[in-house]
Amino acid sequence: MKSRPLSPQGPRLMTKGWLILTSLSLLCFNPTLNAASSPQLKLFPTTVLEDIRYTGDVAKNMESGLQELIGRMDQQSELFVQSKCEGAEEDPGCAQLQKQLSDTYLEMLEVMDKNLPEMEKAVDSTRNSLQKRLRRELGQKMTPWDLQETLLGTASEQPTSSKPSMRGRSGMRLSDRFSQYYDLVSTNGSSAKQNASLAVIASDIYLDMEETSDLITRTRQEIARATLMGRLNQSFGVITPEMQDVVAGVKSILFGAAEEDMPLAAPPLASTPQGYSSPLEM
Amino acid sequence: MFKLNHIGLSGNVLKAALLISALIGLSACKALPTQSQACTVPGGPDLETAVAAAKTDLSGVCSYRYDDYFTQLLDIAKGDPKPENRQVFSNFLVWSNQQGLLSKVQAQDRYNRYFNLKFISMKGDYNNCASTCPNKPELMRKMEQELVDKELGLLQVSSDRLSYQRADRLFQETELVLEATCSACQADQ
Repeated sequence: MKSRPLSPQGPRLMTKGWLILTSLSLLCFNPTLNAASSPQLKLFPTTVLEDIRYTGDVAKNMESGLQELIGRMDQQSELFVQSKCEGAEEDPGCAQLQKQLSDTYLEMLEVMDKNLPEMEKAVDSTRNSLQKRLRRELGQKMTPWDLQETLLGTASEQPTSSKPSMRGRSGMRLSDRFSQYYDLVSTNGSSAKQNASLAVIASDIYLDMEETSDLITRTRQEIARATLMGRLNQSFGVITPEMQDVVAGVKSILFGAAEEDMPLAAPPLASTPQGYSSPLEM
Repeated sequence: MFKLNHIGLSGNVLKAALLISALIGLSACKALPTQSQACTVPGGPDLETAVAAAKTDLSGVCSYRYDDYFTQLLDIAKGDPKPENRQVFSNFLVWSNQQGLLSKVQAQDRYNRYFNLKFISMKGDYNNCASTCPNKPELMRKMEQELVDKELGLLQVSSDRLSYQRADRLFQETELVLEATCSACQADQ
């Protein structure tokens, strides 16, 4: 009986979740984030920062555990191919290689399964903290017009080189996005502009956390199933495409992947067009 | 058959009465624009000239076609996009308010709808959880329509690409932030 590794969406689920979680570490170590929370808009108080920091730590631990395993799997896969073992599984040497590869794969699943509950808890905590802040600061304290003015910043602000990115739900690598967040909050000078950016960043992270929480749950189910099947069979027989996908998905997080083109935010311009001010302007 | 003599009117008197009635009728018709010449904004390329003509017409009997005039002026301005056009339209709208063609709020809304980054669709007096979130799809639809008008006013008429891009960006940011905020509001229910 062939064991069944992660289903095709498994790697994607894990990749997405990992992207988000590993990216949190960048935000956690941002020394200016406290300063970025202006008195007017308290979206990132200490409690939220602590939640994010903790989630980042958990993600970092998981990363370090997986990195070694993935490196080992790479070596084993390479050796398997170089030894021309594909189609020669009856050969004792090849069977041994297969066994090693399967064991490493199972080990990787175990590491993930061991860490995911803690990560799920951390993500949920971060999501809940942000949820409370968003509801209070943007949902209950602001009218839609207030929100718009917050997003625009003040009229006195001039264009700068900082370009906050938005997720746009289109799959930009989160680590890059968080780097842009870091640049934004670390170079901002004015409170209003910070508020504008932080409202977007907080929303961005919150929506990612919501999605991640769901993905982690589904990923855990997939891992449980894949592990069970692997143990029942004690051998994967061949290196399946699904296995390769899982490994490739995790590698893209740990070792980087090509960044997709994303529309960059326009610089926070003045809230009204330059050059002429109408008496009708609001 | 009805005989005029029965009511005591002679033929000459009747003719005179009919003639007077016809003259009165003709003079009344003269006050209304005829279909071929009335209430048509000059189609020339010069915006200032077109605005002047529009003002003349709108001061008279053509005020009921205000929206058509405004649209036509925007169309003319598209032929020569420049930042100064924004002021021309602002002045025209202020004049419209002074003439009683538009209320002040209507003039403001119209100017900001086309020539400002801010979305008048976002006007509201109650908090987002209570008023915006329950109607978010409708709000986003209105904002999208307004963004089309801003493309016309900021980009095609005023040639202000940066401002239009910022308005577009604001639309996207609002969509994102409202999605998160409304999700957070909903979680509290």
